[in-house]
Amino acid sequence: MRSVRLLAVIAMLLWPVGLDAQVPYQRIERAESEPANWLTYSGSYRSQRFSPLKQINADNVSGLRPTWVYQVREPGIVEATPLVVDGVMYLTEPPSTVTALDARTGRRLWSWSPSMPKDVLHIGGPAVNRGVAILDDTVFVGTLDAHLVALDSKSGAVRWDVVVADNRLAYWISSAPLAIDGKIVIGVSGAEAGIRGFLDAYSARTGERVWRFWTVPGPGQPGSETWGGDSWETGGGSTWLTGSYDPEFDLLYWGIGNPAPDWNADSRPGDNLYTCSLVALDASTGELRWHFQFTPHDVHDWDSNQIPVLLEAEVAGRQRKLVVMANRNAFYYLLDRQTGEFLLGTPYARQTWSDGLDQRGRPIVLPNTEPSVEGTLVYPSLQGAANWFSPSYSPLTGFFYVAVREMGAHYFKGQAEYEPGTRFTGGGEQALSGDSAYGAVRALNVGTGEMKWEFRLLSPPRAGMLSTAGGVVFGGTDEGNFFALDAGTGEPLWDFQTGGGIRSNPMSFSINGKQQVAIAAGQALFVFGLP
Amino acid sequence: MTRSSYLVLAILFAAAPAFGQSPLADLTDADLANGKRLFEGQCARCHGMRGTGGEGANLARPILPHAADDSALFSVIRSGIPGSGMAGTRSMTDQEVWQVAGYVRSLSRIAVVSLPGEAGRGRVIYETKGGCQACHIVQGQGGSLGPELTAVGTRRGSDYLRQAVLDPGASLPDSLMLPPGYAEFLLVRVVTRDGREVRGMRVNEDAFTIQLRDQNDHFHSFHKPDLREMEKEFGKSLMPSYQGRLSTSEIEDLVAYLASLRGEP
Repeated sequence: MRSVRLLAVIAMLLWPVGLDAQVPYQRIERAESEPANWLTYSGSYRSQRFSPLKQINADNVSGLRPTWVYQVREPGIVEATPLVVDGVMYLTEPPSTVTALDARTGRRLWSWSPSMPKDVLHIGGPAVNRGVAILDDTVFVGTLDAHLVALDSKSGAVRWDVVVADNRLAYWISSAPLAIDGKIVIGVSGAEAGIRGFLDAYSARTGERVWRFWTVPGPGQPGSETWGGDSWETGGGSTWLTGSYDPEFDLLYWGIGNPAPDWNADSRPGDNLYTCSLVALDASTGELRWHFQFTPHDVHDWDSNQIPVLLEAEVAGRQRKLVVMANRNAFYYLLDRQTGEFLLGTPYARQTWSDGLDQRGRPIVLPNTEPSVEGTLVYPSLQGAANWFSPSYSPLTGFFYVAVREMGAHYFKGQAEYEPGTRFTGGGEQALSGDSAYGAVRALNVGTGEMKWEFRLLSPPRAGMLSTAGGVVFGGTDEGNFFALDAGTGEPLWDFQTGGGIRSNPMSFSINGKQQVAIAAGQALFVFGLP
Repeated sequence: MTRSSYLVLAILFAAAPAFGQSPLADLTDADLANGKRLFEGQCARCHGMRGTGGEGANLARPILPHAADDSALFSVIRSGIPGSGMAGTRSMTDQEVWQVAGYVRSLSRIAVVSLPGEAGRGRVIYETKGGCQACHIVQGQGGSLGPELTAVGTRRGSDYLRQAVLDPGASLPDSLMLPPGYAEFLLVRVVTRDGREVRGMRVNEDAFTIQLRDQNDHFHSFHKPDLREMEKEFGKSLMPSYQGRLSTSEIEDLVAYLASLRGEP
């Protein structure tokens, strides 16, 4: 009996050290070396959404067949990218349910749903969730009512549950957390209700908050001079899409959303830092190392909540460590990811709001492009030339693949009065939708932004891209097509009508040695493989 | 407003549906103006400043699938539509929700106006010389190649109807199968890789396929990568123009008849 107790004590001492942990940080750091799994939202900390798997290739992709389909249990939009770890898939279902599936069959292993108030606020977007993070033996999810919850990866039992922010003030969470060494990083939504945005890091083990970075600086802090009056208090700056991480510099790269109110900027003169920016934060302390603002004093709701992709490429004859972003404002940017130095910015879609960028990357804004009472026609539309859905970079082709929205909009300016927990936007748009708009997959030369090929889509997409070592690029359409293109030429190789709009990102994994490609469409997750 | 008049309003709004009388009937111009203001502030981001749709549904049409009657419209605005991007509102009072509902209904309601033509004569032209019945259904009668017209007067003004008679391809109605902004009855000509040519109206389309309905009422389905050519003939229509085929006064009579079609038998 005594020895059993002793063993139990030893086991307890060992447990927190994580000797038996299934997904230690080091596995995520080297995610590219185990392509059978998909360990973090964008596939790796570099967020290239590139799968080194090559069983499915340009020659055989036309033979893809559904392996299984999982129907979600509550109706809603499924924007999630699933994770796959050693034969288990972790998927979020609308609004904030986490489900573990047998990755071979799609059968459920466990499911967890938060208990949320019926009138939970999600102003500015639908009740969606884009996925989970995993670290050691714990799965992490941000909920619609702005909690961060840690679940046991084998049972779904709650390890801890912390309130990130007050949902009554319209803070909510839609993005997948990012797990780094010992910490879980999570962003918030809510700029359409005038929140003051932030990015948080929590101890993965205890749920204790380690640091908070305010995306809108308070009085006395650097950047506060870019806000007129008290406008910083309701300045927006959401952090609603998962960022990237470079372990070498211990830097987090995170896109910051629009200032509030969106379309009426009368109350917020100035550049409104750090809205519509990319920030590089010290991952240990949350301190700002550098920032780059894509759209100073934004008046079109052009969040910079796009995926920052980390890669190495030659720019102007010199090999650089880059962070790359195809921004919602229709420009493609290359920045030095250690220093934040602006290296290149060039349009990748139609834009009518600027006369290009100056030498430091600041846009030269054209007159009369602000929203007006009678409406001002500007390209791109409110949803931007790109948005939250992921681009992909293939180190094999050197192409950056981006799903592009070619659409303009009449922007209107309206009144905006702040009242906690209500809409604070001050206008809107009337998009030139339908036959006046279109979508495209574009392959850009990563170092120059030059378009190498384009594949036209009927409508502006809300689905991301996946490139693979098999020389294939996968994407989806609003009309439900899941498709494969030749990564080198853009030629269509395969398409499948899923029967529901695709507003998610493809990912790839392998089970029993057979490569699979997964995509959420309509109310279901589809997994495809070769027969 | 006094406390007692609030009470009266509350009773009126609460009781009205039970008596079959929608509270929308009691909304004043000031109510509708406030509904418009609230709509532009809270709804226009998805439904567009004019309610004609965008990320959200086109609301400027007489039949809203999720709001068959006014109380259903009230609950959609108040509680949203589960499983869609349509969120409810917590911040509006019941009266404000009714004001928004009234404004939404007004987006698709074309008022009855006095027109130069005479609807009775127009009906005769529609049924005889115009030959309109060959392609249009009114009250269940007629061919189905063109738009169903039983209640066209409730959703189209006389200027649009006149243009539709004189230049049918100029402004095609919104697609029934695709999101707002896609044209219904759009003429498309395709040539397959083996040289077969088909011309018909677009019924549906996605990035990889297109479905057409030809003049002989046959459906066709094509996989776009298998086509040699695909041309969308914007500005054209299978319907002939009546310019020159009917006199000016006959056209005005026909327009008056179409405007009189308001769904009532």
